[in-house]
Amino acid sequence: MSRRFDMTYVFDFIPKLLAYLNITLLIVGSSILLGLIIGMLVALPRLYNVPVLKRVSQVYISFFRGTPILIQLFLIYYGLPTILQWINIDISRVAVLYFVILAYALNSGAFVSEMIRASVSAVDRGQIEAAQSIGMSGYQTFTRIILPQALAISIPLFGNLVIGNLKDTSLAFTLGVMEMTGRSQTLGTATQHFVETYIALSLIYFVISMILEQGFLWLERRLHRHEAGAKQTSAVIRRKWLTRPVSALSKGGRSG
Amino acid sequence: MIQLEQISKSFGKQEVLQSIDLQVKKGEVVVILGPSGSGKTTLLRCINYLEKPDAGQITIGDLKVDTKHPTKKEIHALRQQTAMVFQQYNLFKHKTALENVMEGLTIVRKMPKDKARTISIQVLEKVGLGNKLDHYPVQLSGGQQQRVGIARALALNPEVILFDEPTSALDPELVGEVLSVIRKIAKEGITMIVVTHEMDFARDVANHVVFMDGGLVVEEGTPEEIFQRPKEERTRQFLSRITPQATYSI
Ligand SMILES: Nc1ncnc2c1ncn2[C@@H]1O[C@H](COP(=O)(O)OP(=O)(O)OP(=O)(O)O)[C@@H](O)[C@H]1O
Ligand SMILES: [Mg+2]
Repeated sequence: MSRRFDMTYVFDFIPKLLAYLNITLLIVGSSILLGLIIGMLVALPRLYNVPVLKRVSQVYISFFRGTPILIQLFLIYYGLPTILQWINIDISRVAVLYFVILAYALNSGAFVSEMIRASVSAVDRGQIEAAQSIGMSGYQTFTRIILPQALAISIPLFGNLVIGNLKDTSLAFTLGVMEMTGRSQTLGTATQHFVETYIALSLIYFVISMILEQGFLWLERRLHRHEAGAKQTSAVIRRKWLTRPVSALSKGGRSG
Repeated sequence: MIQLEQISKSFGKQEVLQSIDLQVKKGEVVVILGPSGSGKTTLLRCINYLEKPDAGQITIGDLKVDTKHPTKKEIHALRQQTAMVFQQYNLFKHKTALENVMEGLTIVRKMPKDKARTISIQVLEKVGLGNKLDHYPVQLSGGQQQRVGIARALALNPEVILFDEPTSALDPELVGEVLSVIRKIAKEGITMIVVTHEMDFARDVANHVVFMDGGLVVEEGTPEEIFQRPKEERTRQFLSRITPQATYSI
């Protein structure tokens, strides 16, 4: 049984948990960065319609979107060393943090790839035809017309992805990683004030999510500034952007 | 001179263009008329290869392209020699009016920026938008956007400008300003192929009128020949349907 609720513990725990924020942010930052690279590579065969690779990336995406992140963590932490042992590579001494980062990177990669595909295909066909009609090459059309517009479309999706990833990192404690949630477990056990640790923890996650959300909103507004014209209000336009590809990407069913 | 020979195109089983021949002399304005679905848009889009013709030959000046087996270079050349004005304007949304016009000059023609800017400003002034250089498309009315679209095409100084119903997405009160810009550049001797449903404009601006129906050129001739003395029954029917005021006006 835990002790009687005492609010002062909440304030006491916050700095203690914040001491481990850097680990949480390290996992988020590096897995998102890796995820962006993986996601781009995975998106390419589908954007360019490369026969076999297209199927491979499809399977990859379905797997990481369709299975719980917790299972993915376990599969990579326990499964990967076993598989690599068959080909005589020993990674059993690699720190658990790397496995966690890899798992979240692979998971984010699937969502990033979907985000890229959805954003690119949401660019108006007429924009591409106009670029072709003035003689732009495929590369010029992609870098000068499609990419800037797709980037603006993708920002809200990317924001969801980062915030989802932040929340998902809390599961890393199940493998014994000392990030914020892992630390809250030890604090709870030591003091028997579990509820207070969870309140402190949720406050921290909440504030970081809010900051991220505002940051992405700002970025989105910046990238859409040319849309926020005199005639139409930006809200109307944003709704128009959002109604198209987002449903394909909503991260329903994810933990967090 | 532009010459299309036996251009054919099918979508699935539907033959949208059946061996179309068309000749446009330098400085000539050719207007294409025809009912909805007759293949006018498809024909224009075949000329700059936004649509791949199944067969036929396109000649623009010295450039001769067998549309069945074109090289990448030939497709690129076709697009360099032509420019298109779209029904939905299709301005680059993330670029200002000036940037929209400059884009083709700097990126495709590799022109130095300051030179491209000078030319683009001149052209935008010509279409009456010298005071809207830094406006983004959403900040412009439909008529203004379409005039930027015309400026973007004009700046490239192509052999021919293809217009696909340039005014049919516009509110009626904005049609006039766009048509008068097209009239103005037509008078400057720019070769144009125009698909339109604006009959008065067509009569007025065309040197040559082509009537299409069902993927075929049914009849062609001078504006007088087509509008006053159409030979084909289908042309007559179309004209009486589309210009009721001419037949029934008091
Ligand atoms: N991408 C496409 N796929 C399939 N069918 C198409 C495609 N584009 C056009 N068509 C068909 O080809 C026919 C000719 O279309 P097109 O757009 O060239 O006609 P149009 O003369 O421009 O008509 P409108 O006056 O309505 O613009 C139509 O029946 C149309 O449905
Ligand atoms: Mg059409």
